[in-house]
Amino acid sequence: MISIAALVLALAAMNCSLGVRSLYVRILGFIFDYATKIKNDKELSNESSDEPSTSTPNSSTSNLVERSSDDPIEMTSDTPLVSGSTKNDETKSNETNETSLETALDVQQKVSRGSSQSDIQFRLGDIMDYTRQGLEAIVDDEVTKRFSSAEEMAVWNLLTRTQQQHEYFSLRITALWFLGFCVRYFILFPFRLCLFILAILWMLCSAVFLKYFPGKNAKLRYGFYINIVLHRILSRVFSAIITYHNTEHRAKSGSICVANHTSPIDVIILSTDNSFSMIGQKHGGFFGMVQRTLSNTANHIWFERSEAKDRHMVAEKMREHIQVKDNLPILIFPEGTCINNTSVMMFKKGCFEITEAPIYPVAIKYDNRFGDAFWNSSKHDLFQYLILMMTSWAIVVDVYYLPPMTIKENENSVDFARRVKAVIAKQGGFVDLEWDGGLKRALPKEDFKQKEQRKFYEMLKTE
Amino acid sequence: MGSNASIMLQQEDLQNICQQTGFTVKQVQRLYSRFKALDKRDCGYLTREDLQCIPEVNINPLGERLIDVIMDDYGEHNKINFKQFIFLLAKFRQGKIKSLITEYNTRESKLRFLFDMYDRNHDLKIDRSELLDVLKMMVGGNIHDDQIATIADHTIGELDKDGDRSITFEEFCKTLERIDADEKMSMKFLS
Repeated sequence: MISIAALVLALAAMNCSLGVRSLYVRILGFIFDYATKIKNDKELSNESSDEPSTSTPNSSTSNLVERSSDDPIEMTSDTPLVSGSTKNDETKSNETNETSLETALDVQQKVSRGSSQSDIQFRLGDIMDYTRQGLEAIVDDEVTKRFSSAEEMAVWNLLTRTQQQHEYFSLRITALWFLGFCVRYFILFPFRLCLFILAILWMLCSAVFLKYFPGKNAKLRYGFYINIVLHRILSRVFSAIITYHNTEHRAKSGSICVANHTSPIDVIILSTDNSFSMIGQKHGGFFGMVQRTLSNTANHIWFERSEAKDRHMVAEKMREHIQVKDNLPILIFPEGTCINNTSVMMFKKGCFEITEAPIYPVAIKYDNRFGDAFWNSSKHDLFQYLILMMTSWAIVVDVYYLPPMTIKENENSVDFARRVKAVIAKQGGFVDLEWDGGLKRALPKEDFKQKEQRKFYEMLKTE
Repeated sequence: MGSNASIMLQQEDLQNICQQTGFTVKQVQRLYSRFKALDKRDCGYLTREDLQCIPEVNINPLGERLIDVIMDDYGEHNKINFKQFIFLLAKFRQGKIKSLITEYNTRESKLRFLFDMYDRNHDLKIDRSELLDVLKMMVGGNIHDDQIATIADHTIGELDKDGDRSITFEEFCKTLERIDADEKMSMKFLS
């Protein structure tokens, strides 16, 4: 066991691969296809004869209900900055001003104005569209399904966690599943655990080594490589098979790297090819120790909890960081939370306001067949999630580096953020949504409903 | 690992539901997955809060009223279980083709649902206050209360044939005669 671990470590350091993992993944692919074929055959024979052919597998992105296209409720880009109540106050005060200037003539005019407004007609059937849209949203909406693992896949990968209902299909499949279970929990998992411990040891040793190392410049350079090796070991812990595309667009120092967020592993995956400065809140406990240790290998930006609320202070710190020549690029996930890798949600504009640094977008696309990397934080805590990851088959991921982007002349940060998001969505094949990832835990603001009411009112007026 | 056995869909229930509602097996299974996804606490029923969490329903001006109708008329004690859920949704299957019509998705049942969106005291009439409630929800602060009252009176005046200052179900259906309610109130369920 130790010798294999040492071998893996050596390979990680030199960034070579024996090709074992690719072969492993190909074999797994064959097994899954075989298992799915058995399952489909069984399903067809079970179903009643008057059903239409069901051999087409469910695509994970198809909708439950065809959404009607006439005037849908949508999140349009210009979210109102002023809440609806102040708008009302404005119109009310205008009207009182007008009435105080009334004369007899004005009274006449007001009456006629009043009657033209009452020409607004309301028909009982006007509620149909909203009612139907509400029902459609209950059956299938664009947002809530982004916060849980993507729907049932076409190919079953022998993990019960991805099966909605574990039905007994056939002895062969159950045998396969059991075999898979043993392999994953009793062979792969202990091995990965060893690697994980090895990685932590490496991190601690290298931190100590660097702390007492003379010469600041050399320290940063060594720190860069130490970081990469650390993350390569970590990626092998999860049996990650990463394919990089367009490495000429790798983020350079003095820039900000932006990516879509699916799981905490994103950081590890990106760091196997490039070193980044992290940015985040200072934690206590184990994670705090990790933060302090990492700080020895590179300059990260950790700020106090109280400072986190102060956006200007954070932006300042980022600016300072960018201006130091040898500092690593900053890695940021503007969605603010984990999304399930089928869509990209609203990018928070904070880091896009720093116009001095170019933005390097990165699209991270996971292949769900071998392990679902999405972290559903309301379902599993971090520890459970890591165990799930370490007992999956593998994490197969495509990393697409994209050309750098900078803010245009007349563009504001919100539009810039949207532009970058569109580029990432296009590359990764994600659905580009304007909804806020914060909706995972919070309700939408009142403003949006008031916007809908305004839309309806406008429509009534023009009928 | 594995799913919650107590709310798994049994085979015979499945067949029963398909027969009565007209949904296909795959459609019911997908709706069941949806139901479980909305049932975050895994308790086998949905509450008002579960439905209010859906952002598109939350920002819908009639969202709350829709949830009221669903919970009060189709669920009980503020809960709705899967069977009630799917029989509710069965109403909105398209009813154009004769073979797809069951007792649930007739044109009349769709209109009845719409009528219930107004008629919350279930006296089979939409009176002035009920109409005012719905109007206020739809336009919010964009029209003054007295204007809204005028509009409501105007609508009732036009549609009330028997002079009782409220709209009965028959009068309601009559006014929607020319609108293809089946088309507008149907959802196309994909499998």
